[in-house]
Amino acid sequence: MFRIAPKKFIPADEKAEVKRLYDNYFHQMKSLRHYFFEQSLEQAESGEVAQMKHRLEEEEHIRLMEENRLENEKTAKLREEKLKIQAEKTRENILASLINKEEETRQYEIQIEAFLEKQKATPFIQAENIEKAIEEALANPVDFNFAIDLDGYVYRGRETAIEKIPEEERERLRSN
Amino acid sequence: MASAIPTFTKIGKVIRLNKHGCTNRPFYHIVVQKTRDNFDGPVIEQVGSYDAMPNSQNEKLVAVNFERVQYWLAQGAGISNPVAQLLGLSGFLPNHPQTLIQSWKNRREPPRERKLQPIKGIAPPLDNPKI
Repeated sequence: MFRIAPKKFIPADEKAEVKRLYDNYFHQMKSLRHYFFEQSLEQAESGEVAQMKHRLEEEEHIRLMEENRLENEKTAKLREEKLKIQAEKTRENILASLINKEEETRQYEIQIEAFLEKQKATPFIQAENIEKAIEEALANPVDFNFAIDLDGYVYRGRETAIEKIPEEERERLRSN
Repeated sequence: MASAIPTFTKIGKVIRLNKHGCTNRPFYHIVVQKTRDNFDGPVIEQVGSYDAMPNSQNEKLVAVNFERVQYWLAQGAGISNPVAQLLGLSGFLPNHPQTLIQSWKNRREPPRERKLQPIKGIAPPLDNPKI
């Protein structure tokens, strides 16, 4: 029961010696690990494997650049053809639109001519005609008055009386 | 040095002895393994061997692939004590304090009887018929 293990007695100088040994050892191991790590880094950049990798990568790079160049040339050709076709189309479009424009202006001018002629044809009262026009107007008074019947018969004139007009001459059952 | 910091984060891998062999016939593989794996679990790489039984010339043969050990140390693997002692004796690493301590203890008082006699300097041939 409750047996206490006997504690090992180690003299102080031996302990110190052991500690010194271990400290030195760990110090050396630490520096060795540092050294190995740096060696591995250098190896990674300048070792045979790394050189081969470099070489392969360069070859790959050159090959891919070649491919890229060829692809670019192909697409450049296609693009040029497309551009040519497009240029043709745009030229035709422009020509067509110019022709249309000319047509339209011509039509417009014709219309204007017709309109002007119409306007000229209508009887405007010029300075010479004014007296004649006045005399004519005074001579022919226009009477716009009219009356309408419930049956739809129109009686024109201010001074007309219904009884004076005979039944046959009554106008317009329907006036627009 | 900022570049040295990665070597000190533990990468979980260790160079240690894996005991193979049969009953009364141990044979160790010096092996790089993940710390958590068992001795019979997956091994990342075998980096040497250590035969604990002395042969007919009274030698205990040790084989070590120093290049790979250097690589794994650069990666930040740990080393177990026996492997560190073996590497120290071989000259690849500095001598482990344990070897020195054991040697002066042996000089002070002889060790207890074991089946495998320890080799002292140029050892005489064994006369144990059982080995």
